[in-house]
Amino acid sequence: MANTIIGSSIIIDGEISGDEDLVIQGTVKGKISLKESLYVEASAVVEADIEVQNVEITGRVTGNIAATDKVELKADCRVVGDVRAPRILIADGASFKGNVDMDVKDR
Amino acid sequence: MAATKEFGATGAETTVIGPSILISGKLSGDEDLTVRGRVEGELSLTRTLIVEPSGIVKANVSVRNAIVSGVVVGNITASESVELTREGRMVGDIRSPRVIIVDGASFRGRVDMGNAEPRAANERPASQTRPALTRPVVRPAAAPPRPVVAARPAAAKPLPPAARPVVSAAPRVEPKSGGDAKPQPPPPPPQPVLVGEAGKKKVLVKKKK
Amino acid sequence: MANTDAINIIGKGITIRGSLTGAGDLVIEGRVEGQIALKNHLTIEGSGLVEADIRADELTINGTASGNIDASTKVSISQSAKVNGDIKATRVVIEDGAVFNGSIEMDVKLPDDL
Repeated sequence: MANTIIGSSIIIDGEISGDEDLVIQGTVKGKISLKESLYVEASAVVEADIEVQNVEITGRVTGNIAATDKVELKADCRVVGDVRAPRILIADGASFKGNVDMDVKDR
Repeated sequence: MAATKEFGATGAETTVIGPSILISGKLSGDEDLTVRGRVEGELSLTRTLIVEPSGIVKANVSVRNAIVSGVVVGNITASESVELTREGRMVGDIRSPRVIIVDGASFRGRVDMGNAEPRAANERPASQTRPALTRPVVRPAAAPPRPVVAARPAAAKPLPPAARPVVSAAPRVEPKSGGDAKPQPPPPPPQPVLVGEAGKKKVLVKKKK
Repeated sequence: MANTDAINIIGKGITIRGSLTGAGDLVIEGRVEGQIALKNHLTIEGSGLVEADIRADELTINGTASGNIDASTKVSISQSAKVNGDIKATRVVIEDGAVFNGSIEMDVKLPDDL
């Protein structure tokens, strides 16, 4: 099990970086940069700038999101911030406030 | 609380910091934490910290139990126990009513177990007088059983996290082949009655595509 | 005290004050106050009470000891032991149940970036 899970009672105030998938069920404030995928689950509260390859959000995110591949805002998510990625999916029921930028140069 | 939990198990109930992950800052929580990567800064848990052989914790740690098989640089305050296993390496001070150092572990620092008191687990005469040098320490009334059985609904005693500024190194990322299987969403973790603003919500267990 | 191979015992009723040196193994069941310098293995039994700075090759403590300990190989603090003082040794073992207050100095090999 090489995956990282931040459980629902965990609160992190700082920076998270790494090379593997990350699942957040708890609270993260600060900055997240990953070379793989990030999953912000329904119980999660993220107040952070996010730089990842892919991100899938069902929980709450406040902060700017930059993905090299894809950003997926699922139903029931709440996202406030700017989103930049070559592919952006916003599901019906998602709540989102911010700018969308799909004009990524290396694509 | 989950009676099924094995000590150091890979059960999805604990929070796991994977081998390539670096967290620098403050981390707190009410569940077990397994570190296979790196945590720098400050760490406080009302439950058990497990530092696996690949794990590095450079932080001041305040937990209920700590099991160190990796590297810890910093002080550990544990309300129950600290164990350095055969592979454990630590530099820093330990303050805990029970401290176990296994042959093969390496350690440099102070150990403070507080005053000697009779332990429920081992019947031994507690009649001996303690020489000076002892510092008074707040400790639980009775020594608990080994943390292997993490099923006790003990009144988790949150310790004041050791306030110390974080000195974190530059983020370090080890190259590694990513792309492992998607994580299994863990079942809802136990919800201890404890303070803490977030994380009290039910976890939605859902399937990843 | 005796030849190198001998095992010497300081029995329960005995109290020694002063400095104790020797080359053989030594088992302390009684009481020693002062200093101990031993080339071999020292065992402090459950009934033993030592208030001394100790130098030995190897040290096993089942009883009570206070003072600084310098062992060239290993210090074992068993579950019945109560120890106060600073320890310097290559290997230190503390069993569950043991009571120890003091510092420990071993050689700790850390990753380069720590």
